[in-house]
Amino acid sequence: MAAGLVAALLLALYLRSDETPSPAAAPRRGGQIVASIRGEPRSFNRLVARDQPTELLTILTQGRLVRINRATFELEPWLAEKWDSSADGRVHTLHLRPGVTWSDGAAFTSADVLFSLQAVFDPKAQSVLADSLLAGGQPIRATAPDAQTVVIRFAAPSGPGLRLLDNLPILPRHKLQDALAAGRFASAWSSGTPPAELAGTGPFVVREYQPGQRVVLDRNPRYWRRAADGGPLPYLDRLVLEIVPEQNAELLRLQSGEIDLTTGELRPEDYVPIRQAEERGRLRLIELGVGPDADAFWFCLKPEVKGKDPRFAFVRRPEFRQAISHAVDRETFAETVFLGAAVPVWGPVTPGNRGWFWPDVPRYPHDDARARALLAGIGLEDRDGNGVVEDARGTEARFTVLTQRGIGGYERGIAVLREELGRIGIVLDIAPLEFGAMIQRMLACDYDAMYYRPVASDLDPAGNMDFWLSAGSAHFWNLEQRAPATDWERRIDTLMLEQAASLDPERRRQQFTAVQRIFAENVPVLYFVAPRMYYAHSVRLRGVVPSVQRPPVLWNADSLSVAP
Amino acid sequence: MLVRFLARRVAFALVLVLVVSSAALLLARLAPGDVTSQLGPFASAGEVAGTRARFDLDRTPSGQWLLWLGRASRFDFGDSFLYNRPVRGLVARAAANTAVLAAAALAVATALGIPLGMLSGSRRSAAAALIRGLSLVCLSLPPLLTSLVLVFIAATTRWLPAGGMTSVDALDMRWSAWLADVALHLPLPTLALALPIAATFERLQAQSIGDALQQPFVLAASARGVAPRDLIVRHAWPVSLRPICAVYGLAIGALLSGSFVVEFVTAWPGLGRLMYEALRARDIYLVAGCAAMGGLFLAVGSLIGDLLLAAADPRLRERRAG
Repeated sequence: MAAGLVAALLLALYLRSDETPSPAAAPRRGGQIVASIRGEPRSFNRLVARDQPTELLTILTQGRLVRINRATFELEPWLAEKWDSSADGRVHTLHLRPGVTWSDGAAFTSADVLFSLQAVFDPKAQSVLADSLLAGGQPIRATAPDAQTVVIRFAAPSGPGLRLLDNLPILPRHKLQDALAAGRFASAWSSGTPPAELAGTGPFVVREYQPGQRVVLDRNPRYWRRAADGGPLPYLDRLVLEIVPEQNAELLRLQSGEIDLTTGELRPEDYVPIRQAEERGRLRLIELGVGPDADAFWFCLKPEVKGKDPRFAFVRRPEFRQAISHAVDRETFAETVFLGAAVPVWGPVTPGNRGWFWPDVPRYPHDDARARALLAGIGLEDRDGNGVVEDARGTEARFTVLTQRGIGGYERGIAVLREELGRIGIVLDIAPLEFGAMIQRMLACDYDAMYYRPVASDLDPAGNMDFWLSAGSAHFWNLEQRAPATDWERRIDTLMLEQAASLDPERRRQQFTAVQRIFAENVPVLYFVAPRMYYAHSVRLRGVVPSVQRPPVLWNADSLSVAP
Repeated sequence: MLVRFLARRVAFALVLVLVVSSAALLLARLAPGDVTSQLGPFASAGEVAGTRARFDLDRTPSGQWLLWLGRASRFDFGDSFLYNRPVRGLVARAAANTAVLAAAALAVATALGIPLGMLSGSRRSAAAALIRGLSLVCLSLPPLLTSLVLVFIAATTRWLPAGGMTSVDALDMRWSAWLADVALHLPLPTLALALPIAATFERLQAQSIGDALQQPFVLAASARGVAPRDLIVRHAWPVSLRPICAVYGLAIGALLSGSFVVEFVTAWPGLGRLMYEALRARDIYLVAGCAAMGGLFLAVGSLIGDLLLAAADPRLRERRAG
């Protein structure tokens, strides 16, 4: 927090000496841009690593059969130029784009697609993508009638359909088949692999990775995609990912022009100085819109673990959690925690998820009297006059809340929440933890309550089944249940399974609306506001099509260029 | 005699490295949480189990330590989770980067701190008061703030790169140009590291030379008409060096072990930053590898400090020789 304020002050001071550059001219071919990343890529193989730098490198260096356009959320042909789907939605015949070659010159064929799917579902490969590529709980199966055709078969109808394949980077069989056969796939293409051993169908190729410093990517001269004028893509000759771990230093370097763009959104406290930089013509500030994820607050509701805790008798009651929702003034929350750059929300699906957001989700307007009445209704009152509500046996509503240490937004959020809930007699003690320790406590349900922002893996609800289903590994409040612990979770399970298997978009929407209603009525997780996301890049950058999903700009890297 | 002394110090260094790295490994293992939490809440049970097995977390702490010790004796320090490659190369590269930075910082701190301390300790003047005040400011500024202010100045003036060890274009440079590029990136982290050490040297030197100037042999030399400049440089200064030499070794050890704050803010790919990232991720073998290298550097720093101390103080040299 203090460092953030110092950085904001430094940025403001910096702007006093800033000079306005000349207006930018039209985009051109050639040149390089420098983007910052905050961590190291763990691997060049996305199938075995889930960290953001690896995901970004995969977007830049590898292709996939189809792509979800991050701006329109529409499915686009990519390495597959067209496809035919059966009426029941189980069989999809994909026709591969002719003439595509790997960056090393080898021909791209259907064998590469079969190999990639084989690698994903090979247990020895331990792919982190395997769960995201299941349809009806079963692996996708594929056959190849010829070198240019792939037939994809789903075990059950799948609502997302081919959108699932956006998760699958197609890897070169000729480079990795030996590693897969030898059971070495999990360690193949580690970040120590010489770049000459890598090959891709993406717009860039890795030139060099200098640990702790940068990843340098050069233009892939064999990239298949063409610009609207028929010229080759990408426009850029080189793209550098500079590793800058400290966010304040990252912003100062953005200001100085040493980097052209960041790969993460701005913090609320950075908005004002960056806005001033924009007014001086040095940076371009983009409002990406409302983010698809919101900070969440929840209690551990696992009866096997918490059943003997006397507080569980009231924590498990929906009225208790509804009272909390009523007690929080979301407008004040947005002002204090996000400096106004946020909108109130009442569920996990925010207005940023335009396709699935339901504006009529049940709401809990700020009303302390109503909150106290709900608490009284379940036997929680301040019986001894100490300002804390307790049940008839004297068990006080006092909880320790875990959050991630060192994240200013979380620390502000939980401080506001403590203040708001204190007014209705619920006491929160705050325990910031390192990320690793926090996640371990969460997985073991070794906590009372938690404040954190879980990131949805997909905007399509069928892509987040691990969150919605009671057996899911991201069903935070009660992970991986053998059978649904509550009736409403059972109903959500049923609706979500139907929704994920339905091919009728309108039917899917209706079912998911019902899910959102049940969720909002039972509030297992409380959401208060969703942040507005802002992003800044240098004015010399052209072709920017921003997205609320990460990476906000580099998802479209082949169309980026720089002004002369 | 010197051989015996060096042999003792090498043995001490080996013990220090063993103890420090083993302690780091065991503490990282026994603290709550482990590296699998980096996989996030979405990781499957199979993925978690596979990662635990790969990093020997499915063994008892003592079993893991013995296994690591056996491998380390063959200079195999295990793999890093974060970087997905052997720890040895990572630590060696980071240590070399930190050594470059530490050498530069030590040179700057010495060149600034010692003369300024002699100046401020040997006379009472406005300049001496100014030096004292500046030293106190440098000592009291937290490294995070110093680093951020220096990055800010670099970003504002654009006289120097605002971070990193080389520029993007260094990839295609010749060796000579590459070295010049590194030299251009050095001043920022060097100053951030050197200023508080220079202030420490200045304060110690000022105090020490003030005391030395009150010694009877210095007063006698003064009475014999020795010029004030010679009095300070030739008579008082050699005697006053002992406390400086005593902290010199510690300063060398600390600098070589890396400053994670300075390296983090200025994006210098050194040992301190590597250790910090390893600790945050609970990357257990990387933690142990960084700690081993830090221990080795500390032992080397201590040895250099002792040698300097012996050179500065003949009594100590004779005692050790005996």
